[in-house]
Amino acid sequence: MSGEKEIYLGYTTDKAVTPFFKQFLEALEKQQLMKSTCKKCKSEYLPPRQYCQKCLTECELTEFTERDAKLVSFTVVEFAPESLASRQPYVVAIGEFPSGRRLTAHITNLMDMPKVGMKLKLSFERVSDKQVTYKWQV
Amino acid sequence: MTRRVAVVAGGHSKFGKRYDATMRELCAEAYKPVYDAGITQDRIDATVLSYAASQFTGQGAGSALMADSIGLQEKPHLRVESACATGTASIRAAYGMVASGLYDVMLVLGVEQMNRVSSATATEYMSRAGDMRWEYPYGISFPAFYALMASRYMAEYNLPHDVLSMISVKSHHYGAQNPKAHLPKEVSFEEANNAVPICRPLNLYDCSLITDGAAAVVLVAEPRVKEFTDQPMWIKGMGAGASEMMIQDRPSLTSIPGAKRAAKAAYKMAGLQPKDINMAEVHDCFSIAELIAYEDLGFAEPGKGRQLIENKEVYHTGRIPVNCDGGLKSKGHPLGATGVSMTYEVLSQMRKKAEKPTRQIKDVKYGLVHNVGQSGQFVNVIIYERGW
Repeated sequence: MSGEKEIYLGYTTDKAVTPFFKQFLEALEKQQLMKSTCKKCKSEYLPPRQYCQKCLTECELTEFTERDAKLVSFTVVEFAPESLASRQPYVVAIGEFPSGRRLTAHITNLMDMPKVGMKLKLSFERVSDKQVTYKWQV
Repeated sequence: MTRRVAVVAGGHSKFGKRYDATMRELCAEAYKPVYDAGITQDRIDATVLSYAASQFTGQGAGSALMADSIGLQEKPHLRVESACATGTASIRAAYGMVASGLYDVMLVLGVEQMNRVSSATATEYMSRAGDMRWEYPYGISFPAFYALMASRYMAEYNLPHDVLSMISVKSHHYGAQNPKAHLPKEVSFEEANNAVPICRPLNLYDCSLITDGAAAVVLVAEPRVKEFTDQPMWIKGMGAGASEMMIQDRPSLTSIPGAKRAAKAAYKMAGLQPKDINMAEVHDCFSIAELIAYEDLGFAEPGKGRQLIENKEVYHTGRIPVNCDGGLKSKGHPLGATGVSMTYEVLSQMRKKAEKPTRQIKDVKYGLVHNVGQSGQFVNVIIYERGW
């Protein structure tokens, strides 16, 4: 909407930013990663969902504080979709926290090929005036 | 009370970069052999039109254009979409309508025209089949999803990339013998194994093609099958399965859970086991996908699929021939046409109509089709039975 500050996740600018998602992004700007918890059945989601997948009750955002993770899987993207062509090559990684929760993001400070099982640490980055992201560091 | 349903005829366009055609001409090319076999428009009750994405051409209401292009504009038609599994989803929809008695004779026509945009744009569109909020912003292309499976599989089972290249070599070996293939050329192991990386660990020869093409099959209810052919191919078993939207939420990355569910349902309906299957058309959108398919379909134990390719058991003279038409890798992968093309190939093999004896499978009683949408969100497995 005009007048409102634009904010997007990651490296693209998908316009589908709802109030719930915007709350997530504004927390991310403060280097807080939010999960969501169902107000009724207490199911937890990372990344967060507005509505519980099980009972369709609304969820609330609460902070997710784990930072250390292990690499479940990765790919080095050498031929990117058009929207990320300027960033190629980049490393996409699925990391798993000790709680079993997972997150998909880029690893941004690798010098060698990643190895499944290696340690990762979650970090944050302001990509541009309008973009903010979480990312993995080795 | 459901009725048995048979595939009685099929048609197939040339696959490739078809700058000489639009969806209209591709549809006409695929329907022409069916028409020539005597299944004229007046004998068809209704049509399911199968295409995965309108972005490639920009054509809206594409199914109306497709029906109109082959003179079926006055007959009922609808479009089905399940990403790369669209072709078999359409067959599944038509099967339901014919089995239930709504129609007796249905045409399933699959098409995709992908080369009206650049490879980078096509890659962009296909990446939007990932979760637009959480995956798309990280540039997870279609190959990237399968590369995430590949790197996990390679680590868990200590699989060298060489095995994946053996699969690519096989695909091209058979594609070279298929005049309808997009890239009909042999590829050496060295060429395949040392190709330029696309999404590591997958390289160019691990990836299927961005293809234009169309394929058609006709489904008929049992009481009327004899009017059409004395060589019917019965739909013996049909299973569908689904998986989590985001790949990170899958419990395993070395298998596609929806494929296992689809296979289990199809085998159960058919009353058959993996060992009964004489040939398979599997969804090798990437080399790793074929390897995983061997295991998800029960042809090999988890982690042991490599033995099938290493021992050439998946070649046309082997225990379980797989993709002896070149597969998505060499024949090509026009999304909405792919599952229909797989079915066409099983029909051709059963009828001993492979263009060259060097890719003709000896005796096909039961043929299986495995068609996967996106990275496994939709999977259809269909088991066909020779009816003569």
